[in-house]
Amino acid sequence: MPDLNESRASLQETMTFLGAIASGLEEAIGESANSISYLAGKRLGMQLSSGIEKTGDIELALISVRKVLLDNGCLWHFEAFKTHDRPEMVQPSDDGQDINLVFRDCMIRQSLFTFGHHQKGSLCNMMFGFFSGALQNIMGHDSTLEILHAGENACYKRLIIHSGENGARKAVTQ
Amino acid sequence: MQELEIAVHEQACRGCQMCVDVCPTKVFEFDEEKRLCVVKHAEDCIACLSCAYICPSGAITHANYHVVKNFYRDLAFCKKMEKTI
Ligand code: SF4
Ligand code: SF4
Repeated sequence: MPDLNESRASLQETMTFLGAIASGLEEAIGESANSISYLAGKRLGMQLSSGIEKTGDIELALISVRKVLLDNGCLWHFEAFKTHDRPEMVQPSDDGQDINLVFRDCMIRQSLFTFGHHQKGSLCNMMFGFFSGALQNIMGHDSTLEILHAGENACYKRLIIHSGENGARKAVTQ
Repeated sequence: MQELEIAVHEQACRGCQMCVDVCPTKVFEFDEEKRLCVVKHAEDCIACLSCAYICPSGAITHANYHVVKNFYRDLAFCKKMEKTI
């Protein structure tokens, strides 16, 4: 248990620091802070997932992303979720396919709450960036992680993999 | 973990429908006859707890759900309380 306490304590310190930077950035440069956090997350996602086996299957790709997060001590637990009226977990969308995810333990949410910052700000964009970077490596497609609901104990998001004609083009030109 | 349970306590509910508006997965339904909210799709609840936080009457309770670990409490305090962070 001492190891766990130590790693959580250092995670807390890092997140406190990140939270302060994100809030300062938001105040100084407004919405551009979102792009900075997104790009930082994307780079991290690409770096940490380099060498991970490629797959075209969203659910397998998400298992890989979860492993990357766990292996790197990132507290971002998520799971795929299907409501009763959704026919399939993975559904075709305009530009590819989508899946809904529930994020439970989240180091970003905890950090925001500690300082009374609002959710859906630039730090949340870091997670969007992380997924985008990791999935670009694993699936070879661009993706969007849209926040459907930011709750107190869990967040609900829609992950869209742009694997359709437009998405493939987008991924190639990036 | 056992299946998540969610309940709206009839005596407490005042029918404001704030839970209906906040719920991202449409778990509640408004019962026009009783003028109260009822749980319609408990299986769709993601345990975000937004409904329980927003309900002005504290009429909504959950059981068997994952409580997010709060690891941002004071370390010394946690040790004293014999809680792990
Ligand atoms: S928010 Fe509370 S009081 Fe209002 S309708 Fe829902 S359960 Fe009833
Ligand atoms: S906890 Fe969240 S998902 Fe569950 S009923 Fe309440 S608002 Fe809806």
